Amino acid sequence: MSAAPHLVISGVSKRFGATTVLDRVDLTIGRGELVTLLGPSGCGKTTLLRAIAGLAPPDTGTISLAGRDVTDVPPHRRNVGVVFQSYALFPHLTVAGNVAFGLKVRGAPKAEIDRAVERALALVKLGHLGGRRISALSGGQQQRVALARAIAVEPDVLLFDEALSALDRKLREEMQVELRRLLQEVKATAIFVTHDQDEALTMSDRVAVMNKGRIEQLAAPRELYARPASLFALNFVGLSTRIAGQVVGGHDGMVDVVTPVGRLSARGAFQPGASVIIATRPEQLRLGAGDGANSASGRVRSVVFQGSRTLVDVDAGAGASLLAELSGREAELPRVHDEVRFAWPVAETFAFAAEAS
Amino acid sequence: MTDAVLPAPIVKPAPDRERLAAFGFVAPSVLIIALVFVLPLALLLGVSVLDAKGGVTSAHYVRLLGTPYYLGVIWNSLRLGLLTTLIAFLISYPAAFALARARGALRSILLATLFLPLAASVIVKAFAWTILLRSDGLINTVLIALGLIEDPIRMIFTQTALIVGAVNIFLPFMVLPIYAVVAQLDGRYAEAAATLGASPFVVFFRVILPLTLPGIIAGVALVFSLSVSAYVVPTLLIGEKYPTLATTIAKAYLLAREPGFGAAAGVVLLAIAVIVVALSAMLSREPK
Amino acid sequence: MMSRIAIIICWVLAIGLALFLLLPLVVIAAASFSPTPVFDLPLSGASTRWYGRIGRLDGFWPSLSLSLQIAVLSTALSLVAGTLAAIAIARGRLPGATALGTLLVSPLMMPGLVLGIALLQYFRMIGFTATWSALLVAHLVVTLPYVARTMIAGLSRFDFTLIEAARTLGCTYAGSVIRVMVPALAPSFLIAGLFSLLASFDNYPVSIFLTDVRSKTLPIRMLQYIEEAPDPTLAALSTLILAGTLVLLLISDRLVGLHRMAGTAD
Ligand SMILES: Nc1ncnc2c1ncn2[C@@H]1O[C@H](COP(=O)(O)OP(=O)(O)O)[C@@H](O)[C@H]1O
Ligand SMILES: [Mg+2]
Repeated sequence: MSAAPHLVISGVSKRFGATTVLDRVDLTIGRGELVTLLGPSGCGKTTLLRAIAGLAPPDTGTISLAGRDVTDVPPHRRNVGVVFQSYALFPHLTVAGNVAFGLKVRGAPKAEIDRAVERALALVKLGHLGGRRISALSGGQQQRVALARAIAVEPDVLLFDEALSALDRKLREEMQVELRRLLQEVKATAIFVTHDQDEALTMSDRVAVMNKGRIEQLAAPRELYARPASLFALNFVGLSTRIAGQVVGGHDGMVDVVTPVGRLSARGAFQPGASVIIATRPEQLRLGAGDGANSASGRVRSVVFQGSRTLVDVDAGAGASLLAELSGREAELPRVHDEVRFAWPVAETFAFAAEAS
Repeated sequence: MTDAVLPAPIVKPAPDRERLAAFGFVAPSVLIIALVFVLPLALLLGVSVLDAKGGVTSAHYVRLLGTPYYLGVIWNSLRLGLLTTLIAFLISYPAAFALARARGALRSILLATLFLPLAASVIVKAFAWTILLRSDGLINTVLIALGLIEDPIRMIFTQTALIVGAVNIFLPFMVLPIYAVVAQLDGRYAEAAATLGASPFVVFFRVILPLTLPGIIAGVALVFSLSVSAYVVPTLLIGEKYPTLATTIAKAYLLAREPGFGAAAGVVLLAIAVIVVALSAMLSREPK
Repeated sequence: MMSRIAIIICWVLAIGLALFLLLPLVVIAAASFSPTPVFDLPLSGASTRWYGRIGRLDGFWPSLSLSLQIAVLSTALSLVAGTLAAIAIARGRLPGATALGTLLVSPLMMPGLVLGIALLQYFRMIGFTATWSALLVAHLVVTLPYVARTMIAGLSRFDFTLIEAARTLGCTYAGSVIRVMVPALAPSFLIAGLFSLLASFDNYPVSIFLTDVRSKTLPIRMLQYIEEAPDPTLAALSTLILAGTLVLLLISDRLVGLHRMAGTAD
């Protein structure tokens, strides 16, 4: 994080009745940063977003935005922009009327409103549709109007709640790229909420993985993928091979683990006797034995060709399986029922406490 | 997660402000209905079992339910309600489908004809029917001019006049709720059913009828409760010779000063309306 | 083939229905131009003298004023109370919301005459004898169910996220209700307001038990005219009211579309 703290959330908790929906959440975001809250449905993403917007004040904790403590500031004085999952466009107003809404409420002069509306609509490439009724727009167009309406007021932070999830896949993927470019262009600070890992990895500078009302890990997409901090983060982002085992020794942040497929080494600090799950990413696996690396063998269960890569699923016996991703250039791809041995670097193998799942 | 051992922060259980606000929001309406509707009706129930000296008696109900004359009065009210509701439904249901297909100016005109009669007082419309139905009225004049009849037919102060007037006056209350559901009916349901091989007959009874049932029930309940208790319509269109519960109640209160008996007649009328409304509500809840 | 015949029958009934509903209205309008005090149709000429006589009807102005006051006030109060209740009920954060909705709408299905005598007894018992206030309170029970029914239906289709969107764009809660909810629900408000205005203005069975000789509402006065000495003056009055309503309907059609209003009628 290069910029100064812009949005600082500290110790925010929220309960509904007996259920704790947000549990002491801390999150600091720099100016101009694009951050995604990623987590399964029901983990509290929307609630956190609503707390930032002022729509669901937290029970405890503080939120400060652009250097101002906004914890008790009502939504209309927070200067946030929200793009809702349902877009929440005003049906009785035109496209331009929707985009102008925030500025009108703020009492901006007409000339300024017109200029801002024109700029915002041009930005989302809807300059020609200002006079349309909302009901006459496609889903993608409505999504753009909601975005234009939110950015027209030049908010301190833009909040997106599953804003792309209603679009079909192709449009969604286009919008992900376009939205990121657009937000960087206007130097917006933004938080996206999604349960779609691809969206999170594509759009954001950093990803906050949420689970049961807590942020489990906050990291850049690449780091999140390569160095997951918990079993949950590992499972939620990308594919992996996971094998359960027992720690028998270790030193210098490495442990030796006995597993059904043999003795393996992994990063992690555990006492001998601890039950762990060790894991690695599929692209780390290579055919062959490999010197000083972890390795295991088994019978190929399936081979799935996916264009630039091929996924190989291996039954390693005793309930363990290996998932390997081989690039198209691999000299020879195994076939189903082949006996194969895979090796992967110790440095790319992680150990997590077993009970966490 | 090592910080799991930290003591949880003390969170004061937040009072559910939204729920509190919701209570505040319904309170005025509920108070009005409770104080000016429920309570007076409960009182009426009490009055209906009191005699002139304030003692408890069942005499009013015995008189109402035990004398042929008053049984006839009850039957008159019921017949007015049932016939009006049935005829209004038979006209409204098919017509609502045409209305729902209409677009543009035609739709506006047709809908305006549904709203406009609501602006004319029931009294004035009933009076207009007396003009139309008189022996020298418009209908007789037209029929004679067309050579369909030679002598004027007597229509005013007959049961025909009563039913025609009642249907005319209460029709909008049947059409509007039915139109509201038919207009929302998605043509694709019927199309989907048809592509599944269902005949028009089956499509109607298995798809369209169940989907429009809520509107039918709303219309039936409304028109029945309005027509079974109509006072102005029978007073102007048929008069003394078709006594109903409504005219009996009015007479008991305004002329005879028999509040106990009037109250009992009111309770009987109320019971009839409640039974029909409750039956409709049960029908609409029945899983289809 | 079957369905073509069915469609034709539907259309015939719809057109017939429209004509049937218009028939008494046309008769009233025609009678208001009658040159003679009796209603001979077809007219043997045309005269507008009955329009001049409306104001000279015995006790007309006080009755009109009373009916208007009661109708406008009870509609306004019902719109506020009924809409608030509908918001609470439609948001569903209330235990027993459906039952409460049924309770609020139930007077609609109750015979007006029964309500009238019940209120007569009740007001007498609690010593509430001020005619004007008694009429207003009684008419609240006539108008509130219309508003509650229409607004619950309208609000159950309203997306409350719109309010949140408006708030994040700079509106206070009350401001977003006025700027977003009111216009989005305009058809519901219009139909609720129109229905309850008419229901109160035209109410006979409840008012008859609560008025006294000095303060009679317009419907009571009109029935009295008809029973005592019917002449086309009454037709002239009704024609004016009809013309006023027609203008209102045309404006409503322009503003929100009658089909949207009819769609929210239930
Ligand atoms: N207003 C509310 N009242 C009660 N429970 C709520 C409310 N809003 C959210 N919840 C609960 O809080 C949890 C988290 O919800 P949410 O933040 O919407 O999750 P997400 O957006 O991650 O799917 C869910 O279990 C949900 O049922
Ligand atoms: Mg959510």
